[in-house]
Amino acid sequence: MIELNHLVKRFGDLVAVNDLTLHISAGEFFALLGPNAAGKTTTIKVLAGLIKPTAGTARVAGFDVQHEPLEARRRLAYVPDFPFLYDKLTPWEFLRFTGQLFRMDEARLERVARELVRRFNLEPYLAKAIEGLSHGTRQRVAIVSALLHAPEVFVLDEPMVGLDPHHARVLKDILKERSQQGMTVFVSTHQLSIAEEMADRIGIMHEGRLIALGTREELRRQSGAAGALEQTFLALTEQEANLREEHAAAK
Amino acid sequence: MPPRSEVRRAAAANWPSPATVANPLWLLLRVNALQSWRRVLALRQQSKLLTALIGVFLVGYAALAFLLFYRGLRFAGQFPGLGAVLIERMIYLLFACLFALLLLSNLVISYTNLFRNRETAFLLPLPLPPQTIFRWKFIESTLLASWAFLFLIAPLLAAYGLTQNAAWHFYPITLLFIALFIVLPATAGAWLAVTVARFLDRRAFQLAALAVAAGMIVVSIIWLRPEPVTDEQLQTRVLVVLDRLLLRTRFAQFPLLPSYWLSAGVQHWAEGALAAAGFFALVLLSYALFFGSLMFTRMGTRFYNAASAVQSRGSVLGRWRGMRAWRRRAVFSYPRGWFETVFGWLPAVSADARALLVKDARVFWRDTTQWGQTLVLFGLLAVYILNLRHFSEQLTNPFWINLISYLNLGACSLNLATLTTRFVYPQFSLEGKRLWIVGLAPLGLPRVLRVKFAFGSALSLLVTAGLMVVSCRMLVLAWARTFYLLGAVVVMTLALNALAIGLGALYPNLKEDNPSKIVSGFGGTFCLVLSFLYIVASVVLVAVGSPWGRAGDKPWPWVAGAWLAFLGLSWLVGWVPLRLGVRRVVEFEY
Repeated sequence: MIELNHLVKRFGDLVAVNDLTLHISAGEFFALLGPNAAGKTTTIKVLAGLIKPTAGTARVAGFDVQHEPLEARRRLAYVPDFPFLYDKLTPWEFLRFTGQLFRMDEARLERVARELVRRFNLEPYLAKAIEGLSHGTRQRVAIVSALLHAPEVFVLDEPMVGLDPHHARVLKDILKERSQQGMTVFVSTHQLSIAEEMADRIGIMHEGRLIALGTREELRRQSGAAGALEQTFLALTEQEANLREEHAAAK
Repeated sequence: MPPRSEVRRAAAANWPSPATVANPLWLLLRVNALQSWRRVLALRQQSKLLTALIGVFLVGYAALAFLLFYRGLRFAGQFPGLGAVLIERMIYLLFACLFALLLLSNLVISYTNLFRNRETAFLLPLPLPPQTIFRWKFIESTLLASWAFLFLIAPLLAAYGLTQNAAWHFYPITLLFIALFIVLPATAGAWLAVTVARFLDRRAFQLAALAVAAGMIVVSIIWLRPEPVTDEQLQTRVLVVLDRLLLRTRFAQFPLLPSYWLSAGVQHWAEGALAAAGFFALVLLSYALFFGSLMFTRMGTRFYNAASAVQSRGSVLGRWRGMRAWRRRAVFSYPRGWFETVFGWLPAVSADARALLVKDARVFWRDTTQWGQTLVLFGLLAVYILNLRHFSEQLTNPFWINLISYLNLGACSLNLATLTTRFVYPQFSLEGKRLWIVGLAPLGLPRVLRVKFAFGSALSLLVTAGLMVVSCRMLVLAWARTFYLLGAVVVMTLALNALAIGLGALYPNLKEDNPSKIVSGFGGTFCLVLSFLYIVASVVLVAVGSPWGRAGDKPWPWVAGAWLAFLGLSWLVGWVPLRLGVRRVVEFEY
């Protein structure tokens, strides 16, 4: 469902994503982890079509993001860590607007929106201006708007930022349900508990490279560190950093 | 490898025609129109005083501008044999200058709107062709860049129509001419913005824009340099002198300039030469349609490539070997920086206040918009003041010398008021989400305000006091008069800064990061209006209180009374809001 092949993205001299190849199948819940400046957000931006890759390809649901952009985007939903919303609209108006952009018919739009609004407890806020809503409520509105058109691929950058435990649970449940129904979920996060609890597979990026990929157990074996995912993550990233240092010293 | 044109064509072919998408442009227009309408409603609901203030300001400006233009045009039209030529040239010149300003305004607004805008980033991953996003952003940028032009030009055209006894249909047709005209700088500005974004990063773009602006100023200074004219020539060879003067304005009549088509069309229509006016209307229409349709059909892929490039590149300046070496050295040497060094020399300033000063100075310096606008506004004033020396020989009448010196005081203060409202007023609000840093520091918010006031005032005084002294020297005023006007400008500078800082603390907007949006709220509008009223009243009081009257020296009670009123007004407008602001921040909750 998501195919990244030898993806490279450079910013001047900096190689933000370095030869990344990753295939994620339909219905899979994938978590991308990595320290700051590892290249996670850049990978997501390429996947969402916000920036062009320097080399390599990105495909969503079989469509190349660069060469068949509209087909890819119709099947994709993307929620950044600080999503943009039209401040003077109400959440209901915003939901209708995004549904219309995806050319949903009125009846379906209303039915799906009502259902998601109910699950995310947004009814009390539907008629209020978005500018007056808290960060968490705005985040819920953004997530609902992204889920409206039943995307085949859902890309989220730090989805739990601002959500209270109750709504974080609701989001996790919905993501799990949708993923069981065939939606591919691609989450970039620093919250290791989400990856540990939800992900079918986990990828760890470090300085633009995918240094580890596999299930929770596979990563644990690869790292040689026992315990929670935190230990695995720290062991793998430290090993990689040491390798880089040795490599640099040898040079 | 296929040729670049083929690659481009293939890339463009990958975007389906916008026509296949169900009216996405209409959806975007509707949503943004709804947003704008609600902003207007919110303005009314937030404060009736603000609505009234804005209303009075708009109507007042329109009425005053109309009156001045009307009288000015009547006055110019009365020159025997020359009036019509003078008015014609002034119209050509005005529209040529406004065309250049519109182009610059469209370039800057299009760049920000296309590449530094959160809505654009939100729309790009949606199933919308980039051409549709570009169309919407082009329309939005054109409206944002051109509304002030319409506002400025409407009173002039009304006055022009009246002085020329134009028929009723002159006014609606003029609107049509202007509607066609604004498309041209908008298309040029948008195209330039996309091209510039493709090849320059933000800092390089700002530096290039400033370099171009500086170059244009230098060219203007050289082109418009004064030529010495003797009294004898002025009396005996008026036509020759005038011809030489008008020769300098010929560039405004270059037939390929869109401003020429607009000026010629409007003037022909006012004179009743409808066929000639129709010709220019058709020229404008054909160019507007041609370039407008290019914008609406051919810019999508270019825009998308530029948007990707904007987010993808490292610094353009950073590609230079020298710059890279300097940056590497700077990163590893942990320099104090010259701001810290310079402020370190200030005696009797505590370390925390100095830290705040250094932070504010660095923010000011690194925001090119701030010092760029300051430079442009005061640069133009400086050019004017320095040119006064060329008239000092002709200016022998004390009445004109006096009048010009007070007008200079007013112009200097009005420039300052624009800048204090734009940059000093939002200072407190701009701490915004960072307020906990300075708010929780032992410095305390009241001292934060005082430090900001001191910094703003010191910086402003350097410019206003300097300009005032130069202006007086150019007019060959006596030192006593120079010090008199210098004293007035010092008091006014302090009052305007205190007013901006005080109102900024009384009406904070901590949610907004954009200073122009902070300024457009109630407090900012109030600050601007109050500053202007204060300046008008102060200049009148300083002039009335001048000890040097036309009929000899004025009695001292008269002088003292006027100065007491001036100082009292300054205290009321400056010190009181600052004091209230300080009180407000003592109990500030954030």
